[in-house]
Amino acid sequence: MSVNALNIMRTVIFFFVLQLCMIAIANPEENTMRVQVVDPFIELRTEPGRGYPIFYVAERGEWIEILKRKTDWFKVRTAAGKEGWVNRSQLENTLTEAGAKTTFRDVMLADYLNRRLEVGFGWGQFEKDPVLTMRIGYALTPNFITELSASQVTSAYSSSSLMQLNLMALPFADQRVSPYFTIGVGNYKNTPKVTLVNSPEISVTAANAGLGVRFYLTRNFLVRGDFREYMVPINDNTVDTFKEWTIGLGVFF
Amino acid sequence: MINRNIHILFLGMAFQLLPVFVLADAEDKSIPAQEQVIQPQLERRDVKVPHISANDIEVGYYSGILSIENFSAESVKGVRLAYHVTEDFFLEGAYARSTISDEFFRSRAFPITGFDTQEEDLTYYNVSLGYNVLPGEIFIGHRWAMASAFYIIGGIGTTTFANENYSTFNYGGGYRILLTDWLAMHIDMRDYVFDSDLLGQNKRTNNFEATVGISVFF
Repeated sequence: MSVNALNIMRTVIFFFVLQLCMIAIANPEENTMRVQVVDPFIELRTEPGRGYPIFYVAERGEWIEILKRKTDWFKVRTAAGKEGWVNRSQLENTLTEAGAKTTFRDVMLADYLNRRLEVGFGWGQFEKDPVLTMRIGYALTPNFITELSASQVTSAYSSSSLMQLNLMALPFADQRVSPYFTIGVGNYKNTPKVTLVNSPEISVTAANAGLGVRFYLTRNFLVRGDFREYMVPINDNTVDTFKEWTIGLGVFF
Repeated sequence: MINRNIHILFLGMAFQLLPVFVLADAEDKSIPAQEQVIQPQLERRDVKVPHISANDIEVGYYSGILSIENFSAESVKGVRLAYHVTEDFFLEGAYARSTISDEFFRSRAFPITGFDTQEEDLTYYNVSLGYNVLPGEIFIGHRWAMASAFYIIGGIGTTTFANENYSTFNYGGGYRILLTDWLAMHIDMRDYVFDSDLLGQNKRTNNFEATVGISVFF
């Protein structure tokens, strides 16, 4: 890349990051929620972490405003203007403005249950070669998820990439350990290393079927294991089958 | 005395019988038995629950030096996207570009690397899981306090150069300083491990990288 182009790229990236910073500053926190403390007290810490010191205690009956969230911690502001971080577990028993009917816990649970987008990655073996998979899935219903996955297989003789669209059926979607069955179709591309093997590059449509299990570590973070068998038609007469198993992580949005 | 008490007793009993008269009347005059005198005006408060914004996603840019075993140490520039799952764990995806040079071999006329040109483009992408081992706070002078965390991180990915893909493990550690709630600075050290057969025999190579980065939380 020429020096000029590099400089332009650097400037563009700098201004892009600056823009992001300005967007983050320029949005005032108008979307705030007020809750009332019901427990005897809740503790406000200086930073979102369990090791940080408690610098203020809000008592029962006090109204606090929830400003934003970072992982399991919420930044709150009391009526007197004190701002600090409270853990989700301490906020769960507070009451929203609707009164005793809705606790904060119900509000957050509804928010979690509406998460439909899942992003994840997996690593494993595709016929003895290492494979890395990136996945994005959308939950059509709690029991059916469509997933688009892109995989890269690196082997000594060739490099393969797969792009597959799968449908996953989860019979026990609400359990912590949830098995599923999946079928899908997509593209399989194999590029042999020219110096070693004299074979043509192939790019064909391949189908797959598989089983898996999902283990929910938290409501929006899971570990999953997959086993799939791919059926690749190499030419008109032969269909090769490849077995793949992966272990991966996923997060819900 | 006894008379007065009996009078009180009879009066009390009479008062007890009053509702009976009212009930008896109810059948005749169709007044509801339990008529509420005051109708409470209950306004159901329709609370629109606003979406609480979350600062879990981090987007950043980093730059530093990547050293490839047996070859050269070149500058590396990359972008990373991280999602903080809990206060302890986060997932990170990174993509970076660098170059790799076989000048050492060319200058000594060893034609073994198979590079098309002396300097080849190198790109890598990976997904890693990080753990905030030592969260804390740092102080500058007596006025500034910033949250910080020392983390360890490990992951998998692919490195590509000279038309070949190498499946890569990476592990390392870093230090994150939160300048504000939404702006962070990183210093990161990683070791990228992949098997390379460029020099004839298959060898597990360790490739070190040190970078400094800046990122924004959304």
